[in-house]
Amino acid sequence: MKLIYEKSVEGRKGYFLREDPYKEISLKDCIPGYALSRTKKELPEVSEVDVVRHFTALSKLNYGLDDGFYPLGSCTMKYNPKLNEHLALLDNFIYAHPCVDEDFVQGSLQVMYELNQYLSEITGMDQFTLSPAAGAHGELTGVLIMHKYFSDKGEFRHKILIPDSAHGTNPASAAMAGFNVVEVKSNERGGIDLAELHKLMDEDTVGLMLTNPNTVGLFDENIEEIAKVVHSKGGLLYYDGANLNALLGIARPGDAGFDIAHLNLHKTFSTPHGGGGPGAGPVGVKGHLIQYLPTPIVSYNGEKYFFEDVGEKSIGRLRAFWGNFSVLLKAYVWVLSIGDEGLKETAETSIINANYVMSKLKKFYKPVYDRFCMHECVLTGREYKEYGVKTLDIAKRLMDYGFHPPTIYFPHFEPYAEETIMIEPTESESKENIDLFIDTMIKIAKEIKTHAEIVKQAPHTTPVSRPDEVRAARNPILILKEINEDR
Amino acid sequence: MKYIPNTDNEKKGMLKEIGVSSFNELIKDIPENIRLKKALSIPGPFDEEEIKEQVHSIAEKNVNFFSFKPLIGAGAYRHYIPEVVKAIVSREEFYTSYTPYQPEISQGNLQSMFELQTHLARLTGMDVVVPSLYDGASAAAEAVLMAVRITHKNRIIVSSLVHPHYREVITTYTKPHDIEIIELPFDKGCTDFSNLKNLLNANTAAVVVQSPNFFGGIENIAVIASEIHDTGALLIHSITESISLGLLTAPADMGVDIVAGESQSFGMDLNFGGPYNGYLATKTRFLRQLPGRIAGETADKNGKRAFVMTMRAREQDIRREKATSNICSNHALNIVAADVYLSLLGKNGLCQVALLNTKAAHYLKRKLAETNNFEVFEYPFFNEFVVKSKIDICEVKNRLSRKSFVPPLRVDKFYKKCEKYLLFTVTEIFKREELDEIAEILGVSR
Repeated sequence: MKLIYEKSVEGRKGYFLREDPYKEISLKDCIPGYALSRTKKELPEVSEVDVVRHFTALSKLNYGLDDGFYPLGSCTMKYNPKLNEHLALLDNFIYAHPCVDEDFVQGSLQVMYELNQYLSEITGMDQFTLSPAAGAHGELTGVLIMHKYFSDKGEFRHKILIPDSAHGTNPASAAMAGFNVVEVKSNERGGIDLAELHKLMDEDTVGLMLTNPNTVGLFDENIEEIAKVVHSKGGLLYYDGANLNALLGIARPGDAGFDIAHLNLHKTFSTPHGGGGPGAGPVGVKGHLIQYLPTPIVSYNGEKYFFEDVGEKSIGRLRAFWGNFSVLLKAYVWVLSIGDEGLKETAETSIINANYVMSKLKKFYKPVYDRFCMHECVLTGREYKEYGVKTLDIAKRLMDYGFHPPTIYFPHFEPYAEETIMIEPTESESKENIDLFIDTMIKIAKEIKTHAEIVKQAPHTTPVSRPDEVRAARNPILILKEINEDR
Repeated sequence: MKYIPNTDNEKKGMLKEIGVSSFNELIKDIPENIRLKKALSIPGPFDEEEIKEQVHSIAEKNVNFFSFKPLIGAGAYRHYIPEVVKAIVSREEFYTSYTPYQPEISQGNLQSMFELQTHLARLTGMDVVVPSLYDGASAAAEAVLMAVRITHKNRIIVSSLVHPHYREVITTYTKPHDIEIIELPFDKGCTDFSNLKNLLNANTAAVVVQSPNFFGGIENIAVIASEIHDTGALLIHSITESISLGLLTAPADMGVDIVAGESQSFGMDLNFGGPYNGYLATKTRFLRQLPGRIAGETADKNGKRAFVMTMRAREQDIRREKATSNICSNHALNIVAADVYLSLLGKNGLCQVALLNTKAAHYLKRKLAETNNFEVFEYPFFNEFVVKSKIDICEVKNRLSRKSFVPPLRVDKFYKKCEKYLLFTVTEIFKREELDEIAEILGVSR
């Protein structure tokens, strides 16, 4: 599609601003010559109608959750309630400036304070910071807390344990705190290899970052032993909350020995993904780590909500202001909408849906581990390689049938997880939609055997098909340089 | 439960097809010991109307911010946001979609990324742009880490008029690493660069300057660029108020190497501090050290123009601990907001808004100077300026609040010695008559 620049017409305007009411003031008297741009910056010149048409057309090239099934494993693409969106746009919230005196923003502070309490109750942690902007920002918070905790004790631990099944953000976050990443292998049951954990966990190691249920959709049954091993060497156990959806109302990371936990409000707590953000990644800790949380936190003295400095041991400030408030508000509304019973039903339904998919598809796509799963199942496309069909092709073919593909090629660790297809239906999907997806996956499996080319060339119905990523990386075109009239 | 379509009967049927007689058989891996044995103590469920009422009544505990116009900015600015921006970002195709890993069904997001990259490149004069990081503060911190990687040096010199919160974030991000941070003092409303030469040494990775700075002051960046480059260090330009780019010299033309900006002013609500949207802009030669997602143009298998996420070998999902950053989710929806805002305002509109901001702020400063209650300072500024109050600060707050204005920032919150100093911010949302009224309220001697 044409870029907005390619629709530009000299002199056209999309924005009307009242006439300059300060004619007596000359710009030259305000801003010195060296700081003034000599020419106007070359932004497009388009009308309001042009802009609306352009972006409406662009939106139609996107696939949103409201368009259909979005079974992206590890992403928890659940329904984003309209009520939440509406309430997040109330004037008194959206026009609230972050630096005003607390007596101006008692409502916003109340939302933050109460959400903190709900998250603590749901996870069994003692106190949250709502500051982190995303899951990875939460991880950074967590590893900085680990860093500070040990340097405070005068211990210079430089290693951190991360399972081979972990999200890429875990090792990347750990590196930002200066830790050396030591990989822990998965065992034949899909959990942490305990013998290896015993060997690796030592007094030079800050602890273990664990996603549980993990990225193969399995709950690590040895969690109590894992916590014991980590704690016995003085380490901290970090909970990556990407998959908390499976545990809501069933079990709490805080009761399972975790010391630090981040949540993804844009996964578990129903806030939208926005095409890649903004989300929010609050981090909860146990009592002994509260003093290290980023500053400030919201407190309440029975009459007034206020910001409280965490103190000199805090890891400091993580971002310019307090948090992604509108995202926090949406999560707050979601919790109130469904309550305790609803949280539990969310977890149960998500687990039933994932197991249902696995049970119906495992004959066609071999599971990485043939066991009951939690909220997502991880299958593979390995056996279709002999027809020249890659897992990627299967994913692309799904688009022709109106589905967003599952997560593919992740997790990847040998020898168990290769050519993976990670399916997370979430609780939002009805049985008939899930059945339709299952039938389609089976249909594709049959197509591969009879008409492999159709699958290999897919998708056939999308606005573009198989953009050349190699070319994009080799010959990077990252901004529009010249306007091409032919477009 | 609300939002779960499947009935109990359907679930029972599904359990049967899975081959189990009860849900509990599916979760045997969770040890009994750690199972939750009580109900969670949280309120709800409430019906939609009940929640609306509750949340509305909570919102009313805030002041009525729509009519309380803020004379406070300090890194978060209330500008007028055209309805078009709100209409577009509330389209489900944008707000309910995921990260564009499947380009075939994500061209909307990808093209918007590419368009914002182009807008920001044109505003800053830079070659390449990361269109979304969490905010301007984390962008500044990422820029510092980037400079350390590029130069293999570890001294960072930061102007003390970089937003105090931004400086704190830089400290948080750099603390685990062996990085030395030195601050440059300020003089009146601008950074005092007189000692910069002595502080720059062979081990300096970067100098970080904000312009317009925390006091609204426009720094003369061009004059320090060559001495910074002579030592092999990079010049990082932090921007909290990106509307200024509509009027001010492009950073690239002043010798800046990395722009670390906040684009909240481009169509994002104040929202009590977030979500906003950070960005980085730099030269092509530093492309491979950039953190975060970048869109690139290519062609699909039929030769049709298409956009994809590119230069992916920098990112965490591919490089794990060797990635340039851990960032995964960014603030993508705000890319669309900024793209729509800048497209709509365009070449003339952005310039006009920037001009109106400048003039309105200068007008109020002149009016305040005419009263006997404020000492003003001479330094070039954009839409924020510092004055010293001769009347009690609480009195200033009370007078303004009574007339439904959010008072300016107390500078001593951040700079202890600056007692009685106020940082006024004036954007285009203020009418001339309102500024007259403000000057009048504050001009009365007690």
